[in-house]
Parts: sequence; structure tokens; C-alpha cells
Amino acid sequence: MATLETDTKPNGPVVAAFIAAGVASLVMGIGVVLNEASAPIKDAIGVDFNAFLQFDKNFGLGSGVGPLSGKVGLAVIAFAVSWVILHLLLRGKEVNFRTGFIVALVLVGLGFALTFPPIFMLFAPAE
Amino acid sequence: MELTEREFYTVIHGLVLGTLFLLAFGGGLAGLWSLRERLVTPEGVQERTPRLLIGTSVMAIVAWVTVITGTFIAYPWYRAAPPEGVDQADPAVLEAFPRYLLLAQEKTAQWHEFGMEWKEHVAWMAPFLATAVAFAVLYYGVQLIRRNEVRRAVIVFFVLAFAAAGVAGLFGAFITKAAPVA
Repeated sequence: MATLETDTKPNGPVVAAFIAAGVASLVMGIGVVLNEASAPIKDAIGVDFNAFLQFDKNFGLGSGVGPLSGKVGLAVIAFAVSWVILHLLLRGKEVNFRTGFIVALVLVGLGFALTFPPIFMLFAPAE
Repeated sequence: MELTEREFYTVIHGLVLGTLFLLAFGGGLAGLWSLRERLVTPEGVQERTPRLLIGTSVMAIVAWVTVITGTFIAYPWYRAAPPEGVDQADPAVLEAFPRYLLLAQEKTAQWHEFGMEWKEHVAWMAPFLATAVAFAVLYYGVQLIRRNEVRRAVIVFFVLAFAAAGVAGLFGAFITKAAPVA
């Protein structure tokens, strides 16, 4: 992203926070899809995402929450880690805010879409 | 006139936190919308910036508290499975198992298959987006008025956070009516 001049604080840290929110939203959406498509993925490559996402059983994150515990756990971790990394990369920098915001919006939009039942059910095996 | 422990909790989760969220959103949006140099004097900016920070921060905190308590306290009550031997096609014996009660009847199954499936996931967008908004307001403070592109982006994220929470809250109310966790 291009560096611009400004008379206020550099916008890099804000872009970092916005993109991190987008990353977290997308990770949430991907978690939903992986859980729905768990059976065919297990058949294909042997990885059971439904079992993996049960952080309540695997890591004691809540009780009786099921795969949702893993989806939210991963999304929160993605939010924190991506924010820290992006913050370190962009702190003190003035970047093209429009580009950064569009990236964040696309990530959030994908996250919203993948958590919408008519979309994520496309990945579920037919009953 | 009494509330069970679960009813009391759902009132806190949906009504109390929901009301706080709405109040913070309304105040925050009005503050962000009118934060323009031609509308506000420098003294006005100094006066309203702390209020704006409080509004956006409260919204973010309430969003986190709501999704964490909803996911880790109410949701297990909702998805609890009936014991072995209980007929999962008989609504009369599924009152204490909301998810299974909804799925047992064709007329209510979509409340789970569409409503709850969307609500439990989309709700989590709200704290991510609201936290980014609160950070932007905290970071820029009184300078936000001179960063119009940031202010507009903050408004977009703020509204998206509200929309995510709104979907979750609306379906929460409908689902609770169809199959209360109490």
C-alpha cells in the first residue's frame, strides 16, 4: 500500500484493526463450512473437522457447546493474532485507507456469506 | 410472579444487554454521523469525543459479554440432548430440550435449521467489528473529525456490527418464544 502524507496520526493501526476483524469473520465462516462438510472431507482426506472443532471436549472450552466452541475459539485466536501481526507491520505507517478498508469489507462479506445457512448448507452432504 | 434461573439469565442476555447495546449504538451512530468540521466547533469536538468513546466502547464490551454468555451458558441449555429412550418425534416430551422440540415439528424446524444456525454464528461478527470501531475512536480521539475516510469506514463497521447483533437478537427472541430454554 502506498505511503501518504497527513497531519494526523498514521492510519496503519486502524487498518490493522479493521482487517483483523475481517480475518476473524472469515475464519468463523470457514469454520462453519468445514464443520458442515466434515463427513465428505473425512472420507476424502481422513480429517474429521467436526471432532476437531469440539473444543469443549478437546480443550475444556465450555461444556456442551459442541463444534461452535471450536469455531468461535479459532475466530477469536485469528482476531487476536492477525491484529497483533498487522499492528506490528503497519504501526507508524500511513497507508492507502481505501484499499485497506475494501480488503476488510471483502473479508467481512465472505464471513457473513459463509455463516448464512442457505450458503453453508451447500457444503453439507445430501441427506 | 417469578423467574426460573434460566429465564432470569435469558432476560439478562437478551433484554438487559440487548437494551444496552441498542442505546450504545444509537448514541454512537449519532455522534459519528455528526462528527464533521462544518457542524461542530473545536470545543464541541473536545466535549463529545469522550462520549463517543464511551458509546463505542460500551457497545464493544456488551457485544463480547453477550456472545460469550450466549454461547457458553444459554446455548448448551438449548442444544441439550434428551436421554436415551425419549421419542425425539414427540413434542410433548421434548419441552426441556428446545433444539429437539423445534426439530420435532415441521412448522418449527426452520427456527433451528435457519434461525439458530444463522444466529449462533453471525452474532460473533458483532464483537469483532465493534472492537475495531472502538479502537479507531480510541486511537484517533479528537483527530477523527479530520479523518473523514476513517470516520465513514467506522460508521460502516458500526452499522454492520449492529446488523449482525440485530439478526442474532431477532432470531433469539423468536426462537425463545417458540421453544424457551426455561
